[in-house]
Amino acid sequence: MDFRESLTMAVKTLTASKLRSSLTMLGIIIGNASVISMVGLGEGAPRYINEQLQSLGPNILFIVPGNRETRRLGGLELARNLVLADAEAIAEQVPSVIDVAAENTTPGLISFFNRNANASVIGTNPAFITVRNFTMGQVAVRGNSLAERLFEDQVARGQSLRINNIAFEVVGVLELQGSNLGVNYDDAVIIPITTQASRIVGRTSPYGIEVSFISATARNADSMQTAEFQITNLLRLRHGIVDPAEDDFFIQNQDTLLSIADTITSALTLMLAAIASISLLVGGIGIMNIMLVSVRERTQEIGLRKAVGASRNDILIQFLIEAIILSAAGGAIGTLLGISGIGLLSLLTPFEASASVSVIVIAVGISGSIGLFFGVIPARQAAKLDPIVALRSI
Amino acid sequence: MPTLINLSHISKLYGSGNTEVKALWDVSLTIDQGDYCSIMGPSGSGKSTAMNVIGCLDRPTEGHYFFDGQDVAQLDDDTLAAIRNRKIGFVFQQFHLLPQLSALDNVALPMVYGGVAAAERRERAAAALQRVGLGNRLMNKPSQLSGGQQQRVAIARAIVNRPLLLLADEPTGALDTTTTEEVMAIFAELNQGGITVVMVTHEPAVARLTERVVWFRDGEVIHAHMSPSDVSYGALVE
Repeated sequence: MDFRESLTMAVKTLTASKLRSSLTMLGIIIGNASVISMVGLGEGAPRYINEQLQSLGPNILFIVPGNRETRRLGGLELARNLVLADAEAIAEQVPSVIDVAAENTTPGLISFFNRNANASVIGTNPAFITVRNFTMGQVAVRGNSLAERLFEDQVARGQSLRINNIAFEVVGVLELQGSNLGVNYDDAVIIPITTQASRIVGRTSPYGIEVSFISATARNADSMQTAEFQITNLLRLRHGIVDPAEDDFFIQNQDTLLSIADTITSALTLMLAAIASISLLVGGIGIMNIMLVSVRERTQEIGLRKAVGASRNDILIQFLIEAIILSAAGGAIGTLLGISGIGLLSLLTPFEASASVSVIVIAVGISGSIGLFFGVIPARQAAKLDPIVALRSI
Repeated sequence: MPTLINLSHISKLYGSGNTEVKALWDVSLTIDQGDYCSIMGPSGSGKSTAMNVIGCLDRPTEGHYFFDGQDVAQLDDDTLAAIRNRKIGFVFQQFHLLPQLSALDNVALPMVYGGVAAAERRERAAAALQRVGLGNRLMNKPSQLSGGQQQRVAIARAIVNRPLLLLADEPTGALDTTTTEEVMAIFAELNQGGITVVMVTHEPAVARLTERVVWFRDGEVIHAHMSPSDVSYGALVE
């Protein structure tokens, strides 16, 4: 009996009991759909994070106060902060850097006539706009931004607003940016850092005007490393640090941020895939169960087939093929479901989830082999049935 | 006629020690090619076991069984399956048709395992159904056929591989009188065509339509060459 005969025979048998066949496949369908959509989602996450990082601005370096080691340990630190003078020194003395922005964020009460809002007050220098990839908007602003709340449909530019009761003139409104790595620049006012230090913070450290962090744009992608090296040297010089272990600042670029995000998301993806695989496994066990019941129910059929000349192998192959067809068809349907699930997830989450071909191939392959694996036990039971006993059972 | 079936001192034992059951004990029996023979006996007399041994479905514990000149007593499962496929046709009381297959596919089943090409299978299966008078029922599923028709499909399946031996186990047990006569007529016609027919039955009326009766009791052959006309007498003796 050749393979094609076995295949048609198995298809005939399976289509004869459609309800049972589809219920048997259900486990594999769900398992496969969840593996594919979960992995798709997991792969969408780094892409999303990557986009976010790209929107930070090209070739950007962040110089953050604190020691990398103590930060990692989450320890309390009393490190010396970065100051505006550090930023100015970087801008003047580091040749591979074209623009430097210093930022210091404080909370503030913003008011315009009788409307008030609590928002972040970001003190910075003019380079901020170019370094952080912001664009100045037209007069009208949409979205749930501070400008809309305060000015509603009035023209903001040229108006005077108050920050902690100090009057400021609005010189422009930034385009809507959306929140970026947890910071919402749409809900903030941006003022000169020197004004912020003197009028709002009202104090300076012994070293100068403190800043939260400094961002710098390297000349191009190739000079990122050079810039990092030069900035490190300059700051060590300025802060009087000899031993690199005692650095009171550290530099992050998009790559290090990306690799941190990557580590987290790939661990997450792995976890999701592992959980989804369990349902695939359960689906396989479901197939084994139904096949075992099916062997018992079909003892007479098996006996008859053996009586008219089926060898052990013929019976074994027949039942194996049935199991494989069930799991492979279940795998295919599950794949389609998984792909549509990914489409749905892309609509519901910011992740641009996508089904990768390799995952689909692997998932269908695995579900097929699950059929083979879990089909073996029932098929062997069927193959070793004694035709006399099988024929006698009613 | 040459001998087709030669059982030589066949014993079949089940269990061991105190629970040992002698299903067959030292049975010797020959059936020639072209014979039309029925096996009778009370329940538990060993006639079903004998039938299983004759049909190469079961191996005897002791003794030799020469079928078509070949000692098949201790061959392995797959070799026996191949012999059954090529040389023996089975008809059962419960028909044993596969419900999901059409009459044509049911009849073609032995040829599937015999490695016959699909086109030839269809042709020969249709011819076999024609021969049992079901030429117009090729595509019917078993559930769409009457009991007599189902048994005729089973007979078509039994003869489709042109076997030497047609082995029937209570072939009329589930049929009414009219269809019993139809089925017996088919057996007689097939026997006329040269096929050896051996059937297990406990209906004297059916046995009387055959040419020879083998009588079993307690795992032994009591009469190997009983005349069918004596059957009612034999049945009374039991």
